Amino acid sequence: MKLVSWSRASSPWILHFNTGGCNACDIEVLAALDPRFDVERFGVLLKGSPRHADVMVVTGPVNRQVRDRVIRVYEQMAEPKFVVSVGNCCNSAGVYRGCYNVYSGLDTVIPVDAYVYGCPPKPENILQAIAALQAKIKGG
Amino acid sequence: MSAATIKVPVGPQHPALKEPENFTFHVEGENIVKVDVRVGYAHKGIEKLMESKTYLQNIPLVERICGICNTAHTVCYTQNVEYLYEKPIPRRAEYLRVLIEELNRIHSHLLWLGVVGHEVGFETLFMYVWRDREVVLDLIEALTGNRISMAFATVGGTRRDLTSTIEHKIRKGLDLLEERTKYYKRTVAVDPTILARSRDVGILTPEEAVQLCAVGPFRRASSIKEDVRADDPYAAHDEIPFNIIAYDTCDFYARIMVRVDETLESINMVRYCLDHIPSGPVRVRLPNTPPVAEAVSKVEAPRGENIHYVRSNGTDKPARYKVRAPTSANLAPLVQTMTSRGKYDVYVADIPVLLAGIDPCMCCMDRSVKFIDDSKGKKWVWTMEQLKRCMSKNVVRR
Amino acid sequence: MSLQVEESIANEVRSFLGENLLEVKVPRPRRLYLKVKREDYKRAAKHMVEKMGLNHISTITAADAGQEIDVMAYLFGRGVEVMLKAAVPKMNPKIPSLTDIVPGVTFFEREAHDLFGVVFDGHPDLARFILPEDWPDGVYPLRKEYKVTRLKGPREVS
Repeated sequence: MKLVSWSRASSPWILHFNTGGCNACDIEVLAALDPRFDVERFGVLLKGSPRHADVMVVTGPVNRQVRDRVIRVYEQMAEPKFVVSVGNCCNSAGVYRGCYNVYSGLDTVIPVDAYVYGCPPKPENILQAIAALQAKIKGG
Repeated sequence: MSAATIKVPVGPQHPALKEPENFTFHVEGENIVKVDVRVGYAHKGIEKLMESKTYLQNIPLVERICGICNTAHTVCYTQNVEYLYEKPIPRRAEYLRVLIEELNRIHSHLLWLGVVGHEVGFETLFMYVWRDREVVLDLIEALTGNRISMAFATVGGTRRDLTSTIEHKIRKGLDLLEERTKYYKRTVAVDPTILARSRDVGILTPEEAVQLCAVGPFRRASSIKEDVRADDPYAAHDEIPFNIIAYDTCDFYARIMVRVDETLESINMVRYCLDHIPSGPVRVRLPNTPPVAEAVSKVEAPRGENIHYVRSNGTDKPARYKVRAPTSANLAPLVQTMTSRGKYDVYVADIPVLLAGIDPCMCCMDRSVKFIDDSKGKKWVWTMEQLKRCMSKNVVRR
Repeated sequence: MSLQVEESIANEVRSFLGENLLEVKVPRPRRLYLKVKREDYKRAAKHMVEKMGLNHISTITAADAGQEIDVMAYLFGRGVEVMLKAAVPKMNPKIPSLTDIVPGVTFFEREAHDLFGVVFDGHPDLARFILPEDWPDGVYPLRKEYKVTRLKGPREVS
């Protein structure tokens, strides 16, 4: 069992999904991939399809138009799967709280495992979230 | 349109930038004959929310309309509100606004260059450019306190001031950036991968650009020399000299070169600002409630002309605030570049670079592309990777 | 600062429209605000685009003014940004479309239609543009009567 947890934690493949945000969190997620922060040393690979990914990294406030797609992509991922909500908008609608088209956070739509705060969070915060998620997976 | 027309919807999601939008391409063979656009995946209702917040509270909200060209929106907004008061702001604040705006432009164009590298398959360019982009973000963080979304401009001036330590840092950073940008310009101008996928791709003639209200580098790549900083100078742009960059090949290659040259121009403008910035206060306190009036403010965002409209009704909250971001003006000419007409053929494989060509800030394309062939009753799905591989096959054929 | 260009544009429009030009304001350099009647909106815009060289339309939008909706078109040329305003009654918000003069405004008019319910006569396709597909018909969010209600997600505990 420990071997399985270790192997799962060592290579979390991520799927990045933007639900209509301002793009600031997205470019910080991508900045985590660039040579300065280099999240690939943690075994993280950015994947294009939900079938290949273990972790769904979501940015942006979830709005009415995108809600069904988020749920569909989440259901297409294979177990065990984890969801990381990046940025204040994803955690709780952030600045857009009160808009007529925005839900109050991603966890009102799908279950979330890790929250990254910030508007936008710095790439170091995102790396910290990945490391914490890996520790959680290893722990079982 | 022949009987074998295939509809190709390209919906939300994109590995490099993202915001969902849905395009449906009507295709004959590999030629695109018609494009339908469906936006709204990123629609949040910001304009309505702005009517229930005060003018100062609206600054972070306006900034987050776009996370990449955020200074354009804050400067435009604060300018608009100051027009309502009809009070001038300190000259030093105007220079600081130009400073942060041009730094943001450098950051945005470098980001886009990396995205182009990613679209075209040149991943090394993406990694190199984004590493150098970190230099700009460090400078912005030193000046304002945050890498992105920094709300530097406020109603009445700017929040922070420039010190000599920061100035020294900016000058050193600019020297490095200039050398790297010149290197990228040399690379991009002769690299065969980029040339093959950008020469004569996505033509937009000057007449079409005017008729379809194209803005920004998209317009200037069709040889029209218009720029808000020159035609309608705001902040300190009436004193800061610069060249309007326009190329006349009207294709995707021109759009790349316009943005690279603009980055070099911005570096020079920042240096000019640092050399000539006057001393004085950086902020003037304005009352909470502006007089009843309307105002229109325009700014040259990295993506084009950004226009805001405000109407005040004597309270401390706006009665109506309208934001027209540059990408929404570029949608109509984008559809035109993606449609085969007359002697210009547009292929399915060109879709990723054409979508990247307008530097989309509110658009996002699906990773999966659905193909429906009505005549044969077949349906299949391609991912963006397969579409890009199709692109490389076409390049060899050309 | 002389406002010659702005005044000359205003005078040209005045000589074209006569006393149908309701209001002229020059609040600052490079800004000109004109108010016209609904019937003259299209021919004023056509004259400005085709005969006076103001051939770039920045955007078309609307604002709720109580019993009326103000439709505003922003034209740019000769270094001046001109705001052309026409009021339409809220009960019958129809106004001619400018897509046959400048085809690029098609998406601006669709957005104004979605958010305010303004009907642009002559627009080739006033389909839903920016609001979600399951948004109820006839509800226009940017009108003052619309009150924002919080969206409740499927996993939310009330």
